[in-house]
Amino acid sequence: MHAGRCPLPIGTFTLLAFGWLGMALQAPAEDAPLSFERDIRPILRAHCFDCHGAGDAFEGNLDLRQVRSMERGGDSGPAIARGDAGASLLVARIRSAEMPPSTLKVTPEELAILERWVAAGAPTTRPEPATIPPGLGITPEEREWWSFRPLVSPPLPAVAHPDLVAQPIDAFLLARLEAGGLSFSPPADRATLIRRASFDLLGLPPTAEEVDAFVADPDPAAYEHLVDRLLASPHYGERWARHWLDAAGYADSAGATQDDPPRPYAWKYRDWVVRALNADLPLDRFLVEQLAGDELVAPPHAQLPAESIERLTATGFLRMAADGTAGGGDAESRNRVVTDTLTIVSSSLLGLTVGCAQCHDHRYDPIPQSDYYALRALFEPALDPAAWRAPNDRLVSLFTDADRARSAEIEAEAVAASQELEAKQATAIAAALEKELLKHPEELREKLGTAARTAEKDRSPEQTQLLKERPSANISPGVLYQYDQAAADELKALGEKIAAIRARKPVEDFLFCLEEPPGHLPVTRIFHRGDSRQPKGEVGPADLQVTGPEGETAIAADNSTLPTSGRRLAWARRLTSGRHPLLGRVIVNRLWMHHFGRGIVGTPADFGRLGERPTHPELLDWMAVELADSGWSLKRFHRMILLSTAWRQASMRRPELDRSDADNRLIGRMPVRRLEAEVVRDRILAAAGTLDPSPFGPAVPVVADDAGEFVVKDSLPRRSLWIEQRRSMPVQFLATFDAPTMQTNCDRRVHATSAGQALLLMNGDFALTQARRMADAALAAAPGQAIPDDTPADAEAQALTPAVILAWRRAYGRSPDPDEAAETIGFLADELTILRGAAAEIAAPAERRARALANLCQQLLASNEFLHVD
Amino acid sequence: MSTENSADESGSGIRSPASSPPFHPFGRRRFLTECGFGLGAMALTDLLGQEGLLANPAKPSFEPPFSDLRARAPHAKPRATAMISLFMHGGPAHMDLTDPKPELQKLDGMEYGGEVAYSFVNRASKRLLGSPWKFSPCGQSGTQISELLPHLQRIADDICLVRSMHTGHNGHEVSIRYFHGGIPAALGRPTLGSWLTYALGSETRDLPSYFVLVDPEGHPVDGVTNWSSGFIPPLFQGSALRAKEPRIPNLVPPPWLAGPLQTRNLAYLDRLNRRHGERHPGEPDLDARIASYELAARMQLSATDALDISQETEATHRLYGLDDPVTREYGTRCLIARRLVERGVRFVQLFLGGQPWDNHTNIREGLPAICRRTDKPAAALVTDLKSRGLLDTTLVHWGGEIGRLPVTEGEGSGCGRDHNGQGFSIWMAGGGVKPGIAFGETDEVGHRAVTDVVTPNDWQATVLHLFGLDHERLVYRHDGVEQRLTAGRPARIVDGILA
Repeated sequence: MHAGRCPLPIGTFTLLAFGWLGMALQAPAEDAPLSFERDIRPILRAHCFDCHGAGDAFEGNLDLRQVRSMERGGDSGPAIARGDAGASLLVARIRSAEMPPSTLKVTPEELAILERWVAAGAPTTRPEPATIPPGLGITPEEREWWSFRPLVSPPLPAVAHPDLVAQPIDAFLLARLEAGGLSFSPPADRATLIRRASFDLLGLPPTAEEVDAFVADPDPAAYEHLVDRLLASPHYGERWARHWLDAAGYADSAGATQDDPPRPYAWKYRDWVVRALNADLPLDRFLVEQLAGDELVAPPHAQLPAESIERLTATGFLRMAADGTAGGGDAESRNRVVTDTLTIVSSSLLGLTVGCAQCHDHRYDPIPQSDYYALRALFEPALDPAAWRAPNDRLVSLFTDADRARSAEIEAEAVAASQELEAKQATAIAAALEKELLKHPEELREKLGTAARTAEKDRSPEQTQLLKERPSANISPGVLYQYDQAAADELKALGEKIAAIRARKPVEDFLFCLEEPPGHLPVTRIFHRGDSRQPKGEVGPADLQVTGPEGETAIAADNSTLPTSGRRLAWARRLTSGRHPLLGRVIVNRLWMHHFGRGIVGTPADFGRLGERPTHPELLDWMAVELADSGWSLKRFHRMILLSTAWRQASMRRPELDRSDADNRLIGRMPVRRLEAEVVRDRILAAAGTLDPSPFGPAVPVVADDAGEFVVKDSLPRRSLWIEQRRSMPVQFLATFDAPTMQTNCDRRVHATSAGQALLLMNGDFALTQARRMADAALAAAPGQAIPDDTPADAEAQALTPAVILAWRRAYGRSPDPDEAAETIGFLADELTILRGAAAEIAAPAERRARALANLCQQLLASNEFLHVD
Repeated sequence: MSTENSADESGSGIRSPASSPPFHPFGRRRFLTECGFGLGAMALTDLLGQEGLLANPAKPSFEPPFSDLRARAPHAKPRATAMISLFMHGGPAHMDLTDPKPELQKLDGMEYGGEVAYSFVNRASKRLLGSPWKFSPCGQSGTQISELLPHLQRIADDICLVRSMHTGHNGHEVSIRYFHGGIPAALGRPTLGSWLTYALGSETRDLPSYFVLVDPEGHPVDGVTNWSSGFIPPLFQGSALRAKEPRIPNLVPPPWLAGPLQTRNLAYLDRLNRRHGERHPGEPDLDARIASYELAARMQLSATDALDISQETEATHRLYGLDDPVTREYGTRCLIARRLVERGVRFVQLFLGGQPWDNHTNIREGLPAICRRTDKPAAALVTDLKSRGLLDTTLVHWGGEIGRLPVTEGEGSGCGRDHNGQGFSIWMAGGGVKPGIAFGETDEVGHRAVTDVVTPNDWQATVLHLFGLDHERLVYRHDGVEQRLTAGRPARIVDGILA
């Protein structure tokens, strides 16, 4: 591609919505000349190569990988007759639906292309070699796919209105808009901007005071200062960690089995992500540590300094896959952990569905089956089904030698105290027995005493019988108080002292991480048809072949300078070289998606033929290079986006935009977006004034309520990020607002509108409770005079105006305008009138006012203005 | 060849549908997210379009989940438009209920000469156990049904009994997942109910289209994944009604709020939203939310109404056994199922908790107990639907995921029967199936299906066919693969049971 040239003529972008129809979209024009490599091979790859090309043997001895081998044909004769589609067996078999035998049939469009190509003499782009190696290989045409091309920074395009270019990214966007006779929307007002920036960077609303101050700030650099202030907030890491944890498939439980065992230490990885983002850990290190942090820490992993703990914690990323091997697992469940891990890694970092290549060469993308196993070979030294470690065996203890010594010391102290206790107890029991014996007939006392003093196992049958008849002579520590209260008390105190001693022991803490055992180099084999019971040829570790020049994607099987194989470390460094064609594009596309609501590529986990095409490919490439070349700073990247003209646009629809770009693919305005589930909940807590902002630590537990719905235990008002993500216990509020329940991972959120959401906000406990809290807080803070009890409802409502204004400011960060205020006062008057007729405890003045105001607050929290950011 | 494929492909009454190009009703994206259960699945963006509520019904394809519940035409003229599935998981003992085996009675107590596929080898025996219960020919059709199911006996002429089901797997989970999702043992695939609502949308604007009625004893094995939409958007997952009141979460406001206060609340909220909408004209999502509150308010009435069985006559209550503590709970759910279908709900499924059909021990007491609990309500459902003219278009399904073995498990009077996925019975009624027939056969002792074998995939293809859907053309693209309910596995429409 020539840098700077627009690859898609204006007008075709509406088709991008159906980008996965890759094949159909790529259909060549009716009269365009066809070539085998460009037009025919993809069809055969999708439908035929499984049996007639990819394997070591060809069904019916027919090899369709080359035109020359088609002409040579198989058992049934030549497959094609150049220039004569009617006489070509290939066409006939497909036309009769005899081939392919699977249910996935060649489409009529594809058949038409095939026929036209045969009729045109079956041309190829280049002469075919006489022989080719086994397998499908990767053709130059396949390497030309947009996401596989080498990453180079294109020059900035020229635009007619350079004054609108605040950041380089604006030039790319504006050039496309101008080509369609369009331009950016005017900038959003400051109140909108601070809300948008706060939700984007922090996932929390600005306070009304912050909005007012920003709106009134005379400093021309006020906006830059705002962005810098937000980026420095500790809530930034919480917001953006949520995005990454979606891609990583974060959960606080192991899934895979019905009991869905908790992962009590997974939160440390979650906290690591938050801290890394807040510290603006360069993205290359951010990824290298998650992919290979353990390889950076010399074994044994004991007595770890803080930095090593961080690096090991980062590898929690590779432990996010569901894992049903708590009891050791069988071959299938172990294999599943490996394949799910590969799914998470490839969808989040490579933007490809490599899973297809588990069983056969990928039908649409140039990913041979061997590539899948080469990727797998990167991970197998640490995730080896043949030398499996169950989740508990993978925990790394953080106990230090000092901890151990301290623990032993304390235990010795406890043992000494126990011995004292036992001695005293024996004495007290002996004394009690003497007292007890006095209650029995004199002639029995000696016998009984002897029997009781004899250890149970040594008693004669006679003694046992005697004690059975007179059980009160069996003095146990529990009945001592009946004989000597003081001795019993002393023993009890001693027992408590022992427990207190043991409680002083340091608690053994663990890391949830991936560790590769030193020197473990298992052989990775291709599984025939993806079946782990049928291993075939060996494969060495490598990146996907298509990501680099031929022969340059292999990864050393063993790095002799490291105790571990070094495979993941080498791959991670390759990915973060700054020029990896997939990683850079995939990462900046995700960042873009979170800032603009939609990626430049609409399918963030599929950059292959079945994914969507980029709307702005040069922009994507420019940003990928820029991110790497400017030191991989995410905060710098966010700043660039937020300072752009594009991001600062107003969100109002414009008729001229809607006419040609109703989907806003060209970003001629900002979209109006519904807040994500977590942000809705956090915003409600913030408005109610109940939000507990304390960060980090073990997950806030989730429990089933009386009705069996999953809710936050004790309704703790912590930010949603900290709530336990048990796969089998989706929190009702969050799930209803489309928070994902992790099966593998989540590459993008759904934003549905549902009646369930409406009911939750209309009648749900959470909404009602928080609305009341908000009302109480507004009433408490509202300045004003006492309202006489006999005030008419209209005047009573009017007198609540200060509280109304406070409620609006809490909900929306702004005061109501006069119309809104008047309407609200009218609404309150209506409600107060009704409430006056209610039961006495509701109709009481203070209570009815709180309820009326709570109803107001509830509607504010349920409104579009509250649930959306514009 | 796997066991499932061992069905007699040339068997009478079974044909392969002609292959045709894939059919995508709409919404071709993949979604990795799966919303939790509950009523979150009632999305409506486009549903509202039909009322003209949206200023701009052509919603731009900006965000992925562009799916809707508008009623859609199937591939062909349907026989069934709704389905109620009484899922009897655990493994009903077919040779004691629906599949009499005179040879087994004769051989009672003898060693079985054939091979037995066991689940629990440690308790296995080869001693044949003749059914302790009597069968008799019922109705005009003369279908033989056990005395354990007296109410089913009375509707023998209305049902289509299939005696030749076969999963090839004896385990519960393996076969349950096979029935729901199309692949043995594969967890988390879209269920039959999801596929039906995905393909056909909803006939009601006031209720979710796919309901699950769970048992007070708890969820079935695999829990909520029994009604998961898998990789299909969460809009198409089942909405589980709770086993006790309130059956729909958050449907009812607290008493002090209900009535005029909430009406005023919603009116005020509507004004807030419309005022906000003036600043953002033409935003479909904003308009959809305005409508969602209207719909929620309608649902407070319609769902409350649908679930209010006090509106039914005393005769109906008696028909379903609501006057008897043994049948009341299951009868109530059957009655609710009818009321939902009556209101346009597409798919309703009833589950049991604790696998009461899983009679490994003491079958002589356990089996009659679960029959007493479910027989009358299940038969009442068919009778009631028929008398209301709804049976023609409502497919009723009764069946488990496996059956049980003809040999004993354990010893003496407390013995039971082990799992059997090789041959077992289900029955269906209405919705275009042939009434008054018994289709297919197991071997002489009831271990293996031998004639007109029907796999879950065959059954699924047939159910879809009754709804006018071609199981090969009903596809959803996920992870780059065109997915089908029958998953590209051998599946045949069972012609012999079509009316």
